Amino acid sequence: MSGETKAVKKGKGWRLSLDTWAVLVAFLAALLVRFGVFKHVPW
Amino acid sequence: MSDVITVPQVRPVQPVLRFLRVVPGVILLAAIGYAGKLLEQNVGAYAKAHHWTFPSIEYVLWAIVLGLVISNTVGVPEVFRSGVATYEFWLKAGIVLLGSRFLLGDILKLGGISLVLVAVEITGSIAFMTFLGRLFHLKPKLTSLLAVGSAVCGVSAIIATKGAIEADDEDSSFSIAAILALGALALFTFPLIGHVLHLSDRAYGLWAGLGVDNTAEATSAGALYSDAAGKLAVLVKSTRNAMIGFVVLAYAIYWASRGQAQSVGNKAAFLWQKFPKFVLGFLLISVLATYHFFNKEQIGSLANLSRWAFLLTFAGVGLRTNFREMRKQGLRPFAVGAIGEVVIAAFTLGLVYGAGKLFGW
Repeated sequence: MSGETKAVKKGKGWRLSLDTWAVLVAFLAALLVRFGVFKHVPW
Repeated sequence: MSDVITVPQVRPVQPVLRFLRVVPGVILLAAIGYAGKLLEQNVGAYAKAHHWTFPSIEYVLWAIVLGLVISNTVGVPEVFRSGVATYEFWLKAGIVLLGSRFLLGDILKLGGISLVLVAVEITGSIAFMTFLGRLFHLKPKLTSLLAVGSAVCGVSAIIATKGAIEADDEDSSFSIAAILALGALALFTFPLIGHVLHLSDRAYGLWAGLGVDNTAEATSAGALYSDAAGKLAVLVKSTRNAMIGFVVLAYAIYWASRGQAQSVGNKAAFLWQKFPKFVLGFLLISVLATYHFFNKEQIGSLANLSRWAFLLTFAGVGLRTNFREMRKQGLRPFAVGAIGEVVIAAFTLGLVYGAGKLFGW
């Protein structure tokens, strides 16, 4: 019996790190504020 | 006959499902944070109306305490856990947005001073923790992890170093538990000591940024003192975070030279991979604010967005802290960490006093 193992390769797409996601989301929010989509963010 | 064994393909979790899984926890973070904000506004007013003597407690402390109570009584149910873990994401997004409140000139000035202090703090902390690890006969790689965790930036530094020096899982979970337990203690002891010593916002912010290990706890400990101290603590802590790649690289080279870790190929790529990208985001937003890309009202809105993000972080810090889990990890690494942290806190306080005398603060 030939124990040939055929591993199904899974396409490993590149994933952004948590840091990068945080930067992207923060910049998106900053741009939305800058271009008036969010006119005022209350506290 | 050819026996072909096909490894069953694990179906990747769909992005939509992954997103849905974090929703309950994020709602819990927001609810606890908002409850903290409401308590800040109403408890003081209620006490005043009834002529009670009640200390003014800020939303930061309320959010942390509410989280701590939930985590250490009923616990955090499974359905909320993925979402609660996003508190680090909110922390980093909050730090990037906070960059809008710093002008580039301030960052260069304060960052320059803090860079010198950070370099002294990292060198002193690593040397002391290494000495302490040898004194207590801890395993050398465990000592390395505790030293990096105390000197640079807590959990992220430990995780980055673990991979680079090929340390055991047990060593890293020991170090992480010790750093988290001590971070939780620092949340309450740092503001208390700061008030007892009547530290200025600047001195306290510098101290919290230099002395508290984890970024979430450093941000919280700073904000618990004052808004200005919180801002400075974030700046100094970010300077410390920026050093992570260099320290991890040095440890990787050291352990590779002893044949106990893989050698580092491309050092520039290694540094980039380990560099915390949110520090770059913080600087970029600050550059945009300095060159008037945002007007005054918009900067106010960005500052408020940053506070909302931190609100979720503070709730997460409380929910993440479970004293029973920490007790399970044993006393020895905690003792080494505790002695180290007390000495590092005293050492960094001395540095801040020295800098204050030098620069006439």
